Amino acid sequence: MKLTPEPFAINPKNYGLPNLEELKAFRIWDSHYHGFYTGGDPIQQHWDMLYYVQRMGIERIISVDIGGTLQDPLDPKPHDQIQWDILEKDKKLISGIIPIDPGFPEESCAKMEKWIENGACIGIKYVGGNKRGITCDHPNNDTIIRYAKELNAAIYIHTWMKVGGIPRMPGGGNLAGESTPLHVAALARRFPDVQMICGHAGGEWELAAKAVRPFENVLFEFSGADPHSGSVDYAVNLLGADRIVWGGHGPSRAYATELSKVLDADLSHEERLKIFGKNYRRLTKNIFQQKGTEISL
Amino acid sequence: MAKLKTHQIKEAWAGSFEALFHKDIDSVNQRLTEECEKVGKRFFRPFGTVNLAWPDWMEDLRRCHEHYRMAGIRIYPSYQTFDLDHPEFPQLLQEIAKRGLILQIVGDMEDSRNHHPIVSTRDVNMEALLDAAKKVPADKIQLLYWNHRVNNNLMTRIIRESRILFDTTRVETSGGLEKMIRGHLWNGNATPVPVERILFGSHAPYFPVEANLLKLIESPLTLAQATSIMNGNAQQLIKTVS
Repeated sequence: MKLTPEPFAINPKNYGLPNLEELKAFRIWDSHYHGFYTGGDPIQQHWDMLYYVQRMGIERIISVDIGGTLQDPLDPKPHDQIQWDILEKDKKLISGIIPIDPGFPEESCAKMEKWIENGACIGIKYVGGNKRGITCDHPNNDTIIRYAKELNAAIYIHTWMKVGGIPRMPGGGNLAGESTPLHVAALARRFPDVQMICGHAGGEWELAAKAVRPFENVLFEFSGADPHSGSVDYAVNLLGADRIVWGGHGPSRAYATELSKVLDADLSHEERLKIFGKNYRRLTKNIFQQKGTEISL
Repeated sequence: MAKLKTHQIKEAWAGSFEALFHKDIDSVNQRLTEECEKVGKRFFRPFGTVNLAWPDWMEDLRRCHEHYRMAGIRIYPSYQTFDLDHPEFPQLLQEIAKRGLILQIVGDMEDSRNHHPIVSTRDVNMEALLDAAKKVPADKIQLLYWNHRVNNNLMTRIIRESRILFDTTRVETSGGLEKMIRGHLWNGNATPVPVERILFGSHAPYFPVEANLLKLIESPLTLAQATSIMNGNAQQLIKTVS
């Protein structure tokens, strides 16, 4: 692992790009950090990823892979204790949200108690599919959402509308239990006083933004899908800049890709600040405060 | 063009979205040429297309070369409804080689999960490309948005057995360019890709230009590596076009 990133070979300013100082000034919070994604060695991968976190001037990373795996979010794994220790030790840089499984609400709440109420984590993540095929709008989720509200925990919901099925339609190719933005809308209607993030812009930002538009308690996040010019402009026009949060999705996605979505958009500096980090800080300010960390917006 | 120029792009090899679905291919190529002339002469370099699934593609190719003076063509097999093991594909490669043209082969235009439901594109068998490319002096073939169509094993074969080039459009991982060049992917080792075989591709206007420019910064490249990818390799390639 290289500890200190080398200077850029080319001067970003010559190519209409922000330099490192300007990237840092955006105060970028990566709300979708997959450094601990399990496949190989999640801990080593995290250490290797920190090189790129530093290189691109990211202020804070929020891991979405804390405790277990995305496939088995409720099964403890050997890396759990190491993650716990990293979250305790590197509080200035890294926070975590825990994958839960709405097919098992009681067990999910037990995991929340351990990692959020009694640990360093700040929220939950609905992953892309689960064993019992339970989407986020199912009544099973009410216990989970109520508890998340009590904890002031962030709620991130992976959503996609994969084209597939017979007849082919957006969402028809989703995995069992993989929520769509329409499921998020149904959940948001039931819990109007709970904020939640519609993740990956539904993989289909034109439809997804429309689906969640009426629900002011739904934030919108773009990571993990190809960068489409105009997508962030569209979402800002429809939802407002206060409802967009930013995620990096590395290492499976390049920071270059995710940053470009916001840099390409026709936004003011203040709007970019909101999207890159301020909105997520606003969302999580209370839970950070509960844990003794003061967050400056 | 304004967007590209903002980011100091000096020349863009341009295709037409109409190439994906049109049946009158020559009219697409004509409009593309006229538009490049009108909007960005000496900035946009038109890359027309031929479709092996439609009749008389040889004449379309001839007109691309002789009439429109194109440096190359771009084909989209997944949309144009032919496979790379099409019986006339070797003939296309021979014609391309004979005319000294560049052949760009598009793997995908976008993530298939985003397709409109009525669009059902084909798979592209890049193995067939490699087999065909080994039989002709095919030194000017470039893959665009290739990443979903080339697995690690095939990539190794392409690197070792051909001179096929790659674009950066969908190199999608943290530090991806450096990892390609070093052959150290996140999920294990791979055959290193010589930097001379990587050309910058923006996929604009569909993708933000910033996406691929920032990859040059995210990866800890040397100035020589960055310059090769940004323009050096493309300049070498275009010089060879007759």
